[in-house]
This record gives sequence, C-alpha cells and structure tokens, in this order.
Amino acid sequence: MTADASDLSLVQRVQRGDKGAFDVLVLKYQHKVVKLVMRYVRNPAEAEDIAQDAFIKAYRALPQFRGDSAFYTWLYRIAINTAKNAVVARDRNPVDFDLDMTNNDESYEMQGRLKDSETPEALVLTDEIRTTVNAAIANLPDDLRTAIVLRELEGLSYEEIAATMDCPVGTVRSRIFRAREAIDSRLREVFEGGLGRAEEIG
Amino acid sequence: MSKEELESQLSAMFDDELPGEECELLARRLARDEQLRERWGRYAAIGACIRGEPGVRLQTTLAGKVSAALKQESAQNGVPATDRHRHGWVRPWVTSLAGLASAAAVAAVAILWMRSEAPALVAHNAPVQNPPAAPSLQSLPATAPQLAAVSPAVRVHQSHEPDSYVTPAAVAQAPSLVPPTELANYIVAHSAYSGPLMRRNALSALVAGDSAAPQVNAQPIPAVVTGK
Repeated sequence: MTADASDLSLVQRVQRGDKGAFDVLVLKYQHKVVKLVMRYVRNPAEAEDIAQDAFIKAYRALPQFRGDSAFYTWLYRIAINTAKNAVVARDRNPVDFDLDMTNNDESYEMQGRLKDSETPEALVLTDEIRTTVNAAIANLPDDLRTAIVLRELEGLSYEEIAATMDCPVGTVRSRIFRAREAIDSRLREVFEGGLGRAEEIG
Repeated sequence: MSKEELESQLSAMFDDELPGEECELLARRLARDEQLRERWGRYAAIGACIRGEPGVRLQTTLAGKVSAALKQESAQNGVPATDRHRHGWVRPWVTSLAGLASAAAVAAVAILWMRSEAPALVAHNAPVQNPPAAPSLQSLPATAPQLAAVSPAVRVHQSHEPDSYVTPAAVAQAPSLVPPTELANYIVAHSAYSGPLMRRNALSALVAGDSAAPQVNAQPIPAVVTGK
C-alpha cells in the first residue's frame, strides 16, 4: 500500500486541471490547517482567513509539487509560513490590534470568544455537532469505538490498529467504516438539511 | 460496485489506506460526485470533533471560499493559476540559462584579468620562503643553495602546491646558478601533471644540469614532467 496515495492521486488530478479534486483536499485538511494556524493567531476568524490564503497559495504552487514529501507536510509548511507572514504584517500595521491584549492570555481568549460571538449561531452549531458526534461515539460498540478513536485521535495506521486490537487489517478497515457511518447517520438525522443550514450560517 | 463498498473505499481513502490504483479511480469519482464529497467533508468533521479541533462545521465555508477565490482569480486573469504555472515552465528554464550565461561571462572576465595580471601579481607576491626540507634535497648539498634561489618563484606551501606557476623575470636574470626563465616557467606551468616530489626533482636536476652545463635546455624536462 502506498503511503499518501490518496492525496497524491488527488494532487495529480489537480495538476491536470481538476479543481474538484482540490476541493476534496481542502475538505480533508481544512480543520487541521485552521488548528495549526491558531497556534499563531488566537482569533478563529483570522485563522480561517489565513488558512484560506494558505490553501490558495498551495493551489498556485501545486504544479511545482513533485511528491518528494507527503502532501500534508508540504501544505503545513505553506500554512505555517502564511501564518508567520500574517503575524509579521499585522505587527507592522497594528491598526486593528488591541495593545491591551498583548500580554494577557485570558484577554486573548476573550478576544477569540468575542470574535466567535459575532456569529453566535455558528458557535451553537459547532457545539451541537460536537455533542452529536460525542453521543454517537458513546453509543458505538466497543470494537468500533476503539478503532475509530485509535485512528482519529491517536493517528494510528490500520496495521498498527490491527496489531493493537489483535485482528486482521481488513476488519479494522470495516470497523472504522462502520463507526463513521454510524456517526454520520446520526449527524444527518440531527441536521436534516444541516449542510444547507451550515452554509446559511457560515 | 455496491454503494456500501464505495463508501467503505472512501473511508479507507480518507485514511490513506486505499491502494494507489483504487485511489485513482475514487479520486476521479470524488472530484465530480457532490454527494460523495459531502460525505468526505463529514468524515473530516467527525475526525475534527474527536480531536477537539476548533470551529468544526459539517461543511465549513472554507472550501467554498477557497473555490470562489480561485474562480474569481482565474476569471480576472483568464487562465487558472495552475494552468499559468503549467504553461509558465519556460520561465524558470530561461532564468537558469541566463544565470549560467552570466556566471560564465564573469568567469571568462576573471580568467582574462588573471592572465593579464598574473606576472605582476607574482612579482608583488613573493615573500621568500624556504622550501620544506625534503630528504632527497638534503642528500644533494650542492644543489641546496641553488634551490633556495629558485624557491621564491615556486613558493611551495604546506600543501605542496605552488601558489603561482610563473617565475619572476628578476630570478631569470640571475647569474648562471639559476635556470633560464622560460625553462623554469615551462616546468612549473606543466607541474599540474606531476607530483610535488617529481617537480622538485625536476627543478633540482635542472639547476644542477644548468650549473654544470649551461646549454642543457628543455630536453630532459618533458620526460620528468610527464613521468607521473
């Protein structure tokens, strides 16, 4: 099995001009990139803007990507550089930067919450999604829950999970799929038309 | 392929656990199947929830924003960004060629300048430095003073490589103990092809031969110089 094969096949499609494939990559990595950027900026809205810039830069640079490293490693480097540059630019031009908050982590958190509270529905929706997912995970059979948590939280490969759970790799693949399906089906139940709702809120 | 099998493949592909050839097929389908892509987005959201990542939405607007920005950009420029890069492959090639050409020009100028300036440089260059005491030279006491007279031109360093390969004219005009300038220049100019010891022996032989018979010219030299 080729490591990073799925990303590479998507990257190759983008390089051949398929923009839809790039959307798939953005969907896969957007949360991770936003989380990464939030190490540099505390404001979620700003983090999302920077993540957007990073993805656009990645798209422009994608023809030069030769697959020497994993796609996400390459993307993360772009995101980090974009975040650093954004921080430097913001510090050079601190017009909308509140100096009172520079040395106060609590205030920083408050700033983040205040920015979030500008879209309270989005905040509520996020909490709702999280609650639904957690409840769905709690209701999973043990073997499915263990498999999905080892994969998503611990980042183990199927082979490592198979060794941990003492079962074949095919079984791991099936368990993770069934766990995802159970959670996804619960999400769709709760958010009937939820995608449209998320679009409206966003 | 059943829907469930397809979705199972999607889940495996999301985890980078699908074989390459299956990835190819599924990537193609994923790029044009909106429903499959939404499911993919929800898988990402589920993972983000489990990891406690911030700002989780079922379908965040980020992908839409990126897509819209890229569409706007390509509409403004007429050509999509990736296409511009694809067709713009000539530019880096031309840039590197121009870099090479300028480097070659600088090197050529430097060589010409060094050729014109080299004798003068050597004349200015030459603090007298005794040659290293090689056993073979010590065994030839008669030639030692003569070598000392030649050594400023040869300037043998610790690395045993001469600094300059041109004998100053002043040395060449010295009395009969010193070999003719042209001959010494010939030896040192070709010394790149001989080892330091061979070179020293050649010079010793030349000096000795010259003091014994001033008419001995370049004849023995080629054999010594090319002897490596």
